[in-house]
Amino acid sequence: MSAHELDRTLAALGDPCRRRVVDLLRERPRRAGELAEAAKIAFPLMSRHLKKLRESGLVEEDRDEFDSRVRIYRLKPKPMADLKRWLEETEALWSRQLAAFKAHVQKSRK
Amino acid sequence: MTSKVFLALRVPADPMRAFKVFTQEIASWWKPSGLFRVSDTGDGRLAFEPGEGGRLLTTFEDGSTFEIGRISVWEPGKRLVFAWRQANFSAEHSTEVEVCFEPVGAETRISIEHRAWDTIPRRHAARHGFPEEATLQRAADWWRNSLHVFKERIAGSDDA
Repeated sequence: MSAHELDRTLAALGDPCRRRVVDLLRERPRRAGELAEAAKIAFPLMSRHLKKLRESGLVEEDRDEFDSRVRIYRLKPKPMADLKRWLEETEALWSRQLAAFKAHVQKSRK
Repeated sequence: MTSKVFLALRVPADPMRAFKVFTQEIASWWKPSGLFRVSDTGDGRLAFEPGEGGRLLTTFEDGSTFEIGRISVWEPGKRLVFAWRQANFSAEHSTEVEVCFEPVGAETRISIEHRAWDTIPRRHAARHGFPEEATLQRAADWWRNSLHVFKERIAGSDDA
């Protein structure tokens, strides 16, 4: 994973509405209108959020198989997997640092 | 959906001393992690500039420095919050670390919360106006999947 990709993922997820979209898409692919309704925001605003999510590589759009005018949004797995890995690495880091901190406190105890 | 890492441990020191050692002696206890310089395995020598607005800096052997982040909360013996940017993060992006010190008898429970976004603690999913739904809960479970194993490990290593 390049750092740039992680940055883009974090920036895209820095907005609560976009996190909501990701949560919804985790269940199944959905139409933009459906997403706007579920997140209770206006359609144009949802379009902007979807654009940002697409640009960040978190989400991809497809055309509906029955109606090509309708766009379907789905989650791309890699950025989320990368983010999960970063969280795991961060966790491992602090686990190690906290253990080292504790050992240091014990050693320097008077 | 949550994006934070949370860990806690008990250390044999009162909160004031734990805070002091954490901030003033970080160069002594920090283990190299390779996070702050892409081309090097060393992290340099870490140091907090005391007080709000101070920096968490690391200084490499060649004298160059890297700013890991700014301190936003400095409450000795209680709480410390600072920004966290690894070498591979872009300049404008950072995450946030909150360290809390709580007395437990004569000792201290030190906890670390590392948040990938949200610059203030998110206690309730409903804060942003979204109802806390089963879907959110499931998503949170998905995130926490990996954390369970870890919590057990910490609990096992916590001899307090």
